[in-house]
Order: sequence, then structure tokens, then C-alpha cells
Amino acid sequence: MKTLSSYKIFAPIEKDTLWSYEIVENPDQMKLEYPNTVLSPKKIIFPQREVYLEFLASNEDGLEVKEILPDEKPSIIFGVRPCDAKALTLTDKVFGGDFEDLYYWKRRKQTSLVGLSCNTPPSPNCFCLTVDGSPYSKEDLDVLMTDLGDKYFIETLTKNGEQLVNSAKTLFKTPTEKDKKDLLKIQTEAKKKIKRQIANIKKIPPKLKEMFDSPFWDEESLSCIRCGICTYLCPTCHCFDINDEVDSLSPLQGKRVRTWDNCQFPDFTMHSSGHNPRPDKAARLRQRMMHKFQYFVERYKNYQCVGCGRCISQCPVGIDIIEVLDKVRDYGA
Amino acid sequence: MEPNTYIPKLASIIHIKEEVGGARPIKTFRAELREKNGFSFKCGQCAMLSVFGKGESMISISSSPLIKDYLQFSILKMGRVTSSLHDMQVGDTIGIRGPYGNGFPIEKWKGKNMIFIGGGIGLAPIWSVLHTALGKREDYGDFMLIYGARTSKDLVFKEELEELRKKMKVHLSVDVDEPDWKEFVGFVPLNVLEIKPSPKNAIAVTCGPPIMIKFVIQNLEALGFKDDQIYTTVENKMKCGIGKCGRCNIGMHYVCKDGPVYSWAELKNLPQEY
Repeated sequence: MKTLSSYKIFAPIEKDTLWSYEIVENPDQMKLEYPNTVLSPKKIIFPQREVYLEFLASNEDGLEVKEILPDEKPSIIFGVRPCDAKALTLTDKVFGGDFEDLYYWKRRKQTSLVGLSCNTPPSPNCFCLTVDGSPYSKEDLDVLMTDLGDKYFIETLTKNGEQLVNSAKTLFKTPTEKDKKDLLKIQTEAKKKIKRQIANIKKIPPKLKEMFDSPFWDEESLSCIRCGICTYLCPTCHCFDINDEVDSLSPLQGKRVRTWDNCQFPDFTMHSSGHNPRPDKAARLRQRMMHKFQYFVERYKNYQCVGCGRCISQCPVGIDIIEVLDKVRDYGA
Repeated sequence: MEPNTYIPKLASIIHIKEEVGGARPIKTFRAELREKNGFSFKCGQCAMLSVFGKGESMISISSSPLIKDYLQFSILKMGRVTSSLHDMQVGDTIGIRGPYGNGFPIEKWKGKNMIFIGGGIGLAPIWSVLHTALGKREDYGDFMLIYGARTSKDLVFKEELEELRKKMKVHLSVDVDEPDWKEFVGFVPLNVLEIKPSPKNAIAVTCGPPIMIKFVIQNLEALGFKDDQIYTTVENKMKCGIGKCGRCNIGMHYVCKDGPVYSWAELKNLPQEY
């Protein structure tokens, strides 16, 4: 059996005044009574910048290419919120399929998720209930912890989760009937504390499809300053760029890197000829809404949103995905 | 499936032909993979070419899959990668990964009259499907090519086009008149109206600049072609080639994976954003 010391453990830590999932070096750094992290744990599985091959000029073959794969050490994301865990089930759909993305899956398969129920919403903009989530959703978790006040209620959900719990057996006791009642009570109350929602969300995908050519997008996108923070912070956004970085020109040596990219940037879709299928902010805001609530639904049968509220809380000009979709639903009615 | 599709295979450039000079130069490259096995493709599919140190660019394969010795790419010098390719010499090393995309459904077209309509560098993907179909000439009906460019100097495969006249009807055009030009003067869509190919038992395959494709389709419809008789191949900016990096989408479709070949019946039902 693996001991806990054989894992890299990520947990919510306040770093540079921001909450984020970072490697725990000292258990005191870790705090579970944290607000929503600014960056989601997506970066652990799908890093913001990743070197995936190196190239080097050689005399014999002209050039050598070396594949750089992620290291094999297993990880635990400790205290992950149910919405962020659910987000990984959505990026799984993208990075899986006919062409499995080796880099994503190497990390994904060796990462265990120890979740933490949200007794109170970690952000005022949480709306997980609307998008098929819940503050104590077990989806994709190995273990779910719920704070009962003076202790945590631990639910092991997978074989892997069982092994994790067994590796620190002395910390746990069998729950009493009262513990089980308390758990139910806390979970029921947790749901009521989520204040935001998108009413009649099922009407939104077909309505979006009708509204592709609507002037609505021009109006809605006027305030956007195309900073792209909405998609960088989104736990479900997966778009990336690939570029070469040169360390030496002679002999040629360098690396190929993939980095997060952003559909809100003008050059995201611009052809080298200058032709741009999404030439303005309206087309790009439309793409973000359509991708999450229409295209993704059509392709993968899920909303590409887990209701974490980060894009709302952090948008510098107050574009609110819930308000935009509310307007879409009611447009022309 | 390749274990890691992001890692390109190394290939050597074995032949370079200058097709078009001037401000919008086009060269045709033939590349030979170091390890020949493991790259079988269908006409209409694309490959991601690497110039190491510059990056990658998605290019349609202009040779027919019937040719096994090399892969051919006809490339307009445009951005960083294609400009670097234009600076390369025979013997230089590039990377190739793929093939990507769906390809033309030529098996479905057996017994049909084939009409190919190209503009500028858009003849490259057509070249592959045209020669693959010509390789099984007896399986198809009549063949016709309608092709045009800005000037006669901008036409690609000039000698090959003359050879092709022996096998099929070839109608060329230039956008503006030139002293010695004997064929049609005007845009490709207008030449389609001039020649009036019959829609009877026919399939039209078109590729060129987005604006040309749009009007060619409009004019084919005016001639009586049905939506499922018209095919085109779409280009968008691409990075991964496998439907993950998120930029080449038209609606829910990723052009790199679900395209690039679409019938008009399919394409007209997607958001018109390409």
C-alpha cells in the first residue's frame, strides 16, 4: 500500500493573498475554511504552461525530437470543491475520445480527489444546482468530507478512496447515528444557502441556437475589455495554444510548449491571411456562451459549466453569465 | 491510434517546385517520412507540418493516397511557418503529424460525373481527390475542372493542368484581363455560370477562398445542384488537429476532426462562422 508521503498533496493555501491549490509543504499552510480559490485545480491536471517535446539539431539525422512526459508521482487534491471535481469530468470528455491526450491523462489517472462539501457557498456567485451539480456532489471524488462542526464526516467513494483512508486508519472512527443525521441536516441546509440560479435552464440551449445572428451579442459585449479572465479562471475551459520556444539558433535547440489560450482574444481564430471567422467582441462573447450552453450540450450532453461563479466574481466589467443567459431565455418574449 | 499524436514524425524534403512567384508565392513540397509505415491517409485529409523552432501549420495533402513514396503539399507563403517552409531546401528536415480530418467520401461518388471547382491555392486539396478518382477512371462518369486565380501567374500546377486536358475538360480563368489570355476573364463563380455544368448525376467539389466558395455554392444552386451534390473543404486556424484546442470550431463541429470536408447539406445547417 502507498503511504501518504509517496503523494504530492495539493490543498487550498493562501499564496500571494490569493487562495489557490498548491503543494502542501507544511500542514499548517492548509486551511479548509477557505473561500473559493481564484484559480481552479484544473491547473494540476492541465497546467497553464507545459513543455511537451524538445528538439535539437544533430549531425546524423538532421534533428532529434524528444517526447517530454509528465512525471509519474501520484497526487492528491485535498479539499477540492465538488464543482471543481465535476469540472474534471467535463474536461475528461474533451481530452478523451478518439485521440487520448497523453499529457492530460498521465496526470489525471494518478490524481486522487478528496472533496469537501460546501456547507455554505464558498462564493456569493455559486450556482451549481442550476447546472446539475450540488454542494455535496460525490461525482468523480474518491473521498467526500463534510464538516460537522467538531469533526468531519468521511465518505469513501472508490477503492482508491478506501485505500487512502486506510493508510491513515487511526484518524477515523465509525460514525454514530447522530453523525449520520447531522450529515443529512447539513446537506439539506447547504442546498438552501445557494442563492443564485438560472431559471428554466433547459430552454437556453435551443434558444441560443436560434439567436446566433441576433444583435443581442453586440449589445451584451460592449463592456467586454477582452481580458480573457473568464476563461482562464473557468475550471471547464480547455482551449490551448501550441508554440515553439527557441533556446539556441545554432545549433537549433528548443522546445514545443502548450499554454492555455482564450477564445476572447482576437488572434485566437485569426487566419494568417488576416481573415477572422470571429472578428469582434460580439462573436467572441457569443462563442463563450454558445460553447458552454449549446455546442458542448449538443456534442457531449452536458453544460460546460459547473456553476463555480469565478467568471462572474472576477470579471473586471461585471459581465455576469447568469444575467446574460437570463436575458437570452427571455429575449424577444 | 498513435500513442502520442502530438509528437511529429520526421521527414525530409525531397523535392521543391516553385509554382508561383511574386508577392504571393506558392511552392510545392514533396516530403519523405523517415519511417514510412504508419501514415496512411484519405484524399481531403490534412497533415500538421512542423518547422522546428517556428511552429506548426495545418496543410492539406495535395498528393493522392495512391502515391506511397512521398507526401505532397502545395503551400502559399503567408504566416510564420509557411514563410519558413518557403526558405527551406531539399534535404531539410520537417515534422509531420496526422493525418487529420474526415476526407472526401469518394466511394459514395462512384458512377457520378465529377465537377471540380478551385480558386488559387484551393486547388491543392482538390488535386488529391481529383487524382484519386482519376486513378479509378472507369468507376466515374465525366470529369471537369473549373479553376481560376488572380492572374495567369498565380495558377498552380500549370504544366500538369496542360497534361490534364488530355484526360478531362479543363476550364481556366483569371480575375482580370491579360494580353495573351484566351480563356475566361472573371471570378471563378462567374465562370461556373458561364460553363453551366449539368447537375444531372453530378457531384461538385469546390475549394478556394471563403468568399469564392460562398458564391460558387450560390451559383451551383442556381444551376439546379442540390445541397447534397455540393462538397467543399473548409480551413480554419488550428493548433492541435484533434478537436481539443478549441479554435477551429464551426458550431459544435471541430473542422480539424469532424471536417474539413462537408457537403453543403451539412455545412448550411451549421452557424455560418468560418
